[in-house]
Amino acid sequence: MKPFKISASGVRGVIGGALTPDLLIRFAQSFGTYLESGRVVVGRDTRPTGPMLHYAVLAGLISTGCEIIDLGICPTPSIQLMVEHLGADGGISITAGHNDASWNALELIREDGIHLNPFQGQEVLDIYHQGEFIRAPWNRLGKVREESGAVDLHIHKILEGIGGEAIRERRFKVAIDPCNGTGGLVDRSLLEALGCEVVAINDEPRGFPPHDPELIPRNLLQLSSLVRASGADVGFAQDLDADRLAIVDETGRPAGEENTLALLCEYTLRKHPGANIVTNLSTTRAIEDIAGRYGGSALRTKVGKEYIAEYTKNFGAALGGEGSGGIVVPQVHYAEDSFAAIPLMLQFMAETGAKVSELVSSLPKYTMIKEKVPCPPERIYRILSEIREMYSEENVDMTDGVKVDFGDSWLHVRASNTEPIIRVIVESKDEGRAETLCRRTLKQIHFLLTE
Amino acid sequence: MGKERLRSLKISISGIRGIVGEALTPELLANFAMAFGTYMNGGSIVVGSDTRVSGEMVRYAVLSGLIATGCEVIDIGICPVPTIQIMVEELQADGGVAITASHNPKEWNALKFIGNEGTFLNACQGEELLNIYHQGGFIKAPYTEYKGVIAHPSAAEIHINKILALDYIRPEIIKGRKFTVALDTCNGAGATITPQLLERLGCEVVSIHDQPNGLFPHDPEPIPENLGDLCELVRSSGADAGFAQDADADRLAVVSERGEAIGEDYTLALAAKFILEKKGRGPVVANLSTSRVVEDVARSLGEKIVYAKIGEINVVEAMKRTEATIGGEGNGGVILPDVHYGRDSLVGIALILQLLAESQKSISQIAASLPRYHIVKRKVDCPSSKIFPILKEIREKYAKERLNLIDGVRIDREDSWIHIRPSNTEPVMRIVAEAKTEEEASRLCDNITEDMNEILSPQ
Repeated sequence: MKPFKISASGVRGVIGGALTPDLLIRFAQSFGTYLESGRVVVGRDTRPTGPMLHYAVLAGLISTGCEIIDLGICPTPSIQLMVEHLGADGGISITAGHNDASWNALELIREDGIHLNPFQGQEVLDIYHQGEFIRAPWNRLGKVREESGAVDLHIHKILEGIGGEAIRERRFKVAIDPCNGTGGLVDRSLLEALGCEVVAINDEPRGFPPHDPELIPRNLLQLSSLVRASGADVGFAQDLDADRLAIVDETGRPAGEENTLALLCEYTLRKHPGANIVTNLSTTRAIEDIAGRYGGSALRTKVGKEYIAEYTKNFGAALGGEGSGGIVVPQVHYAEDSFAAIPLMLQFMAETGAKVSELVSSLPKYTMIKEKVPCPPERIYRILSEIREMYSEENVDMTDGVKVDFGDSWLHVRASNTEPIIRVIVESKDEGRAETLCRRTLKQIHFLLTE
Repeated sequence: MGKERLRSLKISISGIRGIVGEALTPELLANFAMAFGTYMNGGSIVVGSDTRVSGEMVRYAVLSGLIATGCEVIDIGICPVPTIQIMVEELQADGGVAITASHNPKEWNALKFIGNEGTFLNACQGEELLNIYHQGGFIKAPYTEYKGVIAHPSAAEIHINKILALDYIRPEIIKGRKFTVALDTCNGAGATITPQLLERLGCEVVSIHDQPNGLFPHDPEPIPENLGDLCELVRSSGADAGFAQDADADRLAVVSERGEAIGEDYTLALAAKFILEKKGRGPVVANLSTSRVVEDVARSLGEKIVYAKIGEINVVEAMKRTEATIGGEGNGGVILPDVHYGRDSLVGIALILQLLAESQKSISQIAASLPRYHIVKRKVDCPSSKIFPILKEIREKYAKERLNLIDGVRIDREDSWIHIRPSNTEPVMRIVAEAKTEEEASRLCDNITEDMNEILSPQ
């Protein structure tokens, strides 16, 4: 059985396994039925398996009588923006984000452009399981209209929300690596509108990703070389649907994926002292430290992008985001959006006049280690409860898996929303302490798995 | 509802057919496409559709299913079924899918499957495909084996060029006659390509129901009672000929310059007359429900007639076996091997216009020179369980007459015949009778219907 997951966050799997046209069509029909045959915006990322899912989604939505606006290959945040802009009832983004090319998925978006929350996702899932979909007769089938204006609208919205005068004056040289993903459709126009000189690699928005799209340092080697060779002021990397952003400093050194949010948090709080920042339980504690410096506070949600945008909106936060590099910039819209994050970072650079390496070194120093352990789904909850028992004397938060706060360091063990794995994240000011804590936890999990 | 719903779907060796919004769902279509992709082992597949409103939904489901099995898809968009068949052969593809419910009403749609020679799957191949579908173990290609969808925009031009390249079609002669041609494509798949062909032949085209939008203004079956608009158009425009196509443009009916539908059975007769006069070198093949006028034309020009079971592929296989010059069906389907082994209304149009141009006669004059028969077609509800008892009784009752038993029972007499067979698509018996007068043909149908009813409800 190939990895596959159908849940309140959508449907996701490895191609060649359970992610069949039949299943995708029924899932799209569930969503079309949930929306009572409303207006739906559809787009996909660049992975070569996209057309199979795209056609299945169109067939399913047409058969439930939905009016479809087809954006073709399009970043997820642009799809989210278009849902709101067009007054649509919902949207479907066909993307497995940062997962490698063997994966694909459907993400469901509601009328305000935010991903469905778990309660809404569960309602769609109930319709899916019940299997009774709206079946439009031949003369009430949905129609498909192609729409190509999403990217222009998105760039316009960003420039309107952020301005960018300070950036234009600096004439930055910016290196980009959109990983042959949808970022390639937007980056150059956006950066040139901000007066930047662009040097790019992997910016053809098609074909197989040239490297693993997850924004961890080992996948940023090409961008690092490009920054050094071109003498760029900064490098930006994105995943395939361009919701996540990683930053490389002017020396070619990755800032670290946690630090995209930390940097923008620092900038935002300098501008808006006392503001709220929304992030998830697995993100660096540097966010609390930074918020503390400026009299603000960090609100922690469960892990999953469906929570970040909704909490940012509901709490009127000045910024939201995840350690994985997804950033919500409320001036633009409530969606994790690498394009909205880029000008924010450039503005930080422009207004301070500092180099990226200097801005990074001013952040609180933590060592974070992220590990994952493959785990059969039926064992996950038993392992989580064993871990909880083990630390019953400590300060334990059970909002999402088990998060143990040791004061100087923390440990978070949780089930992935998207894959049959257990994630282990530890963070400490002390590198040795982080390593020990991580090693010890992994050993415990392996022991429980072989029991 | 249960019974209605059952009848809104038919999965058979001829493909899958049903009513959209009822049983013909996208998931069913995608699975059937996956079965075909599995049968073709992930080869290259040409996909085209007629103009039906549901065509887009069906097409997306089919593309998704084919891609998932690792097929490379060549999408030729809206086009006649014969164009799809020709493109499979032309591009040396492994197969094709035609999205069309041909003459069925607009709420229906269907998939028909084409093999690598560009002809529909035969009964054995259809059976193999069905077995894969029911077994359900489809190929699920890994992401590294995914291939794209290629649009091929010039299929219509290739089709037309193939017809105009025939040495006995002489556009300059047809052009010289400056024909006015009236056309009714029933807002179907012929709406774009047919005027193009006619213009290449120098004809002035006056058309009706010529939008490829699938909103059929009348029942798309090209039988005289559906051709009132076209007859009117021929009269008002003074056209030399009127042509009507069904929704997927494989069948053709002809209206004379007087505005009279000459009967869809005469389409093949006219085409056969032209081609046999040009180059008779092999028999004519027709299905068992075809008018005897075709047989008369063949005999008068020194060729045999060979009868085949109902179904395009059965006629095609008999044609290949007998090296036929031409073949087809009484319902207006003309098959010319020099172009392709498939029913093709555009081929019919070209042959008939060439006949008109060379003979210097009008359609009504040519039709009048052929024997006149009257054909009556009926369908009678028949539970599946009674099909074989009925055929057996009829076979025994008429045992002393000249019988053909390859598809139901056909009884041939001096100048009439009657054919009774179970439908492939509905729970009915189809009865076709032909005689010199309509009364006689009706009487023959009545007799067989009575025979049937006696067996269905014995006194």
